[in-house]
Amino acid sequence: MTQFIRLFYILVSFSALALTSPNAYAIDSQNLPDINPAFVSMKSIDPVRLVGYTVGDVIEREVILTVKAPYKLIETSLPIPGYEKRHKGQVIGIELKSIQHTKKVDDNSTTHHIKLAYQVFTNNIVAKNAALGPEYLNLVNLKNNQDIVKFRIPTVDIAISPIAIFGQVKIENNMSPFLGPLPLNHDKEENWLKISLIFLILSALGLLYILGMRAWLPRMGGTFAKVYRALRKQEKSAQGLKESVALLHAGLSTTANFTVFSNNLEQFLALKPNFVGLRLELEQFFNLSRRINFEPKYLDPTASFDSDVNAQLWVIKFARRCRDCERGLSPEKLATPSMKPGL
Amino acid sequence: MSDRQLADWRNHALNLESEVNKVVVGQQNPIRLITTSIFARGHVLLEGDVGVGKTTLLRAFTRGIGGGYQRIEGTIDLMPNDLVYHTYLGEDGKPHVSPGPLLMSGENLSVFFFNEINRARPQVHSLLLRVMAERSLSAFNTEHYFPHMIVFADRNQVEKEETFEIPSAARDRFMMEIPIVVPNDNDIMEALVFDTKFHNVDALVNNVKPDVLQFDELNAFSGVLQNSVDTSDTLKKYALNLWKATKAPLDYGVKVSGVDMNRLVLSGASPRGMSMMLRAARVNAWLNERTAVLPEDIHAVFHATVAHRLVFSPVYEMRRTEIAREMLNGIMNAVAAP
Repeated sequence: MTQFIRLFYILVSFSALALTSPNAYAIDSQNLPDINPAFVSMKSIDPVRLVGYTVGDVIEREVILTVKAPYKLIETSLPIPGYEKRHKGQVIGIELKSIQHTKKVDDNSTTHHIKLAYQVFTNNIVAKNAALGPEYLNLVNLKNNQDIVKFRIPTVDIAISPIAIFGQVKIENNMSPFLGPLPLNHDKEENWLKISLIFLILSALGLLYILGMRAWLPRMGGTFAKVYRALRKQEKSAQGLKESVALLHAGLSTTANFTVFSNNLEQFLALKPNFVGLRLELEQFFNLSRRINFEPKYLDPTASFDSDVNAQLWVIKFARRCRDCERGLSPEKLATPSMKPGL
Repeated sequence: MSDRQLADWRNHALNLESEVNKVVVGQQNPIRLITTSIFARGHVLLEGDVGVGKTTLLRAFTRGIGGGYQRIEGTIDLMPNDLVYHTYLGEDGKPHVSPGPLLMSGENLSVFFFNEINRARPQVHSLLLRVMAERSLSAFNTEHYFPHMIVFADRNQVEKEETFEIPSAARDRFMMEIPIVVPNDNDIMEALVFDTKFHNVDALVNNVKPDVLQFDELNAFSGVLQNSVDTSDTLKKYALNLWKATKAPLDYGVKVSGVDMNRLVLSGASPRGMSMMLRAARVNAWLNERTAVLPEDIHAVFHATVAHRLVFSPVYEMRRTEIAREMLNGIMNAVAAP
């Protein structure tokens, strides 16, 4: 019996102790009176985007709360991470993920920086409204411990979007006749398209150049057109003259499809009547070739040149006239006499 | 020798050509080739049908260059000693020996004409080829020399019966093989038939001015001529390419219609043949008043100096003349200079 009385006494003592301490039992903040707005001011930095959240998203907001004396924030009333908020008994699916609290104490006030990070743990097949908060903070009057009030941090309304449209949707029914299709930003693709087109055109031109035997225009691929281009690149010297004559010989042979010599020149002219107008110059060319390649002592009785350089220039002009004949054109007249009688 | 002397000799040569052209008409090209071979000191194989004027042509040349002219007919029973001596019974009833065609003119022999050489036996060919190569002969315990002799041989390519094909080694000793064909010109053909001056060959040949050249000076002049006509590096390269092309025509893209080119050529031109070609080309250059050989000079003698040296597969031998002409034309068309 004595032991039972002792146990009862102990239980009564602990219960009295718990009921007499102001922090020992939970205060229902929502039932407390609101603080006089003169003693508190609040600013909040809310998320810019208020729609399109879905499960897993983290949403942050910051509250800057200034509490003037004699009131002081009861820090144990700050919201607790992981606490499931309910609305009409239903879990709303937005939880406080973390909270960072800092404060700056002045003479007559204390400024609290409260960073709140919420995470969405709900989703739906259609968009639905949700809210961050509200959060209730308790404040105590330091001059009167019995004066405990509350401050309500207002909610921020957001919309939670479904991850995917549920079921079959007929697009036409969902389309608004007043809205056009959403424009997409295609600058990047357009730039790539331009670069690709330029690359394609350059490649095609290069391919044409190669397939056209390195000639840009159809008539540039002719034998004498090539010879004329090659002759212009030759160095102006005795060796250059010799190589130029050899190139022109090769051009004649390619055109005729047999090796052209002075003794079968008539056969060449019969085969290529376009060159008949160049008969005299062809004979002069063979005489020049004779001197350059075979008989240095030979002096052309009808024509000669002041120097090898002049002879080379004449060969270049002659090649151009051959090119004209090859193209079916009348060779242009030489502006100045190309050859002089005698040395 | 000075340029003037070269020019004088050239005038004589052209004069000789002119004289021969008076009596043998329509054969300007063969006459030019024979003139060339005379100055290049090379033997000539004449190819042509009977009665086209080969003998007349040679007699006319012999009269123009002077010296002795001898002739023998190739027959199947001809023996080598028939070229050297004759044996006969004299009026005194004793056997006598007289010189044969080779020895009859002694060292003055300038033209020896072997008619229808392919009818003679190979033994006869051997003797003749030695005489051609060395211009000497051992007979009666004596060495006989023929320093001025040029051999002209004739063969008929059409008739094959009772003939002996001249082997390639023998053909190679001839500088040229010159075809003699009947002229196509109607006026010339008519003159050959109806002009009575062509009926008497002796009288015709007598129209040629005698001794236009001095036969015994030709050897010396030929050496001078060969040394006075230059060949450039470009021409040497061209000639070498021509030579290579005769050995491997396919390498130069040369084809002959209806012929398997891989099987056609057994042997191209020989070094001696190319050397003779260049000798003849130098003479041609000199005749055309050039101081150096041009490709055109080679072209002028290319067929005559190279065609008979080519050795073809036996299956193509029957068409030798036609194939050789087409192949050599192809080579000249394919090889470039420069």
